[in-house]
Amino acid sequence: MKEIMNLGFKLLLISLIAALSLGYVNGITADKIAEQRALANERARKAVSPEADSFNEIDVSELNQDLVVEGFEAISDDLVSGYVFKTIPKGYGGALEVIVGIDNDGTISGVRIGSHTETPGLGAKATDESFYSQYKSMSANQEIAVSKTEKSDTEIQAISGATITSVAVTKGVNSAIKAFEAYVQ
Amino acid sequence: MSNKVKIFTNGLYKENAIFYQLLGMCPTLAVTTSAINGLGMGLATTAVLVLSNVVISLLRNFIPNKIRIPSFIVVIATFVTIIGMVMEGFLPVLYANLGIFIPLIVVNCLILGRAESFAYGNGVFESLLDGLGMGFGFAIALTILGSVREILGAGSIFGVSLFSANFQPVLMMILPPGAFLALGILMAINNKYKSSRV
Repeated sequence: MKEIMNLGFKLLLISLIAALSLGYVNGITADKIAEQRALANERARKAVSPEADSFNEIDVSELNQDLVVEGFEAISDDLVSGYVFKTIPKGYGGALEVIVGIDNDGTISGVRIGSHTETPGLGAKATDESFYSQYKSMSANQEIAVSKTEKSDTEIQAISGATITSVAVTKGVNSAIKAFEAYVQ
Repeated sequence: MSNKVKIFTNGLYKENAIFYQLLGMCPTLAVTTSAINGLGMGLATTAVLVLSNVVISLLRNFIPNKIRIPSFIVVIATFVTIIGMVMEGFLPVLYANLGIFIPLIVVNCLILGRAESFAYGNGVFESLLDGLGMGFGFAIALTILGSVREILGAGSIFGVSLFSANFQPVLMMILPPGAFLALGILMAINNKYKSSRV
């Protein structure tokens, strides 16, 4: 009995010190981490909508697009110059984040892939500029399709060996387009 | 003195964590899809290994034998979490590159293994040297494995393309089966080299 108490007490002491130090470090870093995450999100929005000076969050729940999780008005010189939507389509390895910028006049100003779990060397190539830059300057007047052979005005060329990922990203872009249309109307 | 040098060099080659002890296979196989991933994982592991070795060596007379494993796990998990939080808060660039590896370190049995077999029974300075040696040995082995897989599977090294655009990489090498193949072949070469020297 005495031994069990001793063991239990020592383990309690070690865990207590661990918990206290974790709490202390968390207290110092929590604000910093939140700040860094906000900055990273801001950078991603800036990348797909380069002309904007600031972003205003908008309510996306009424746009009836299940994949769209966040939406922003891109503000440049106090006027709304475009929109940024964050969509989460399902890729080959699970959910992947697709951030889409659309200008007022209905052209795609940029697409970026956020966190993802696609296969390295195949689906993960979606984060290469050669893939996501295909969407830039495409018209948001119609749905974008995926071609396995070559790019056209309304089609992007799939990553070879990673059709599922290419289709998923395109699905994300298309739901951003629909959200854009629904919001502008 | 020579004894201390030996503790350090032991982990580098002779008792290398991957090629000799076969410890920490889970992160080894999972993250070595490129040379830079291998190096990053290796260095992050080294940092945790050194810290946990030192602390466990300091506490070795306090921790009773019967509860040593849970105590080790609490110490290691605490360090991993602290390193993760500090890195994300203050070194965002480094975190963007290494962040995904940090939680994986908790399940690396190399760290638990060194705590159990070395730090629990040796002095603080020796444990520090052991942590450094084992950690660097692990990092070097991961970098080699990552390089081999990246060269064969993607035709590049540290992200720099090696071949012309016509080169068809063996995609399988950066997929999970390639990890087993590359590791097995590297170990066979290493064993051949070792046996030829005896």
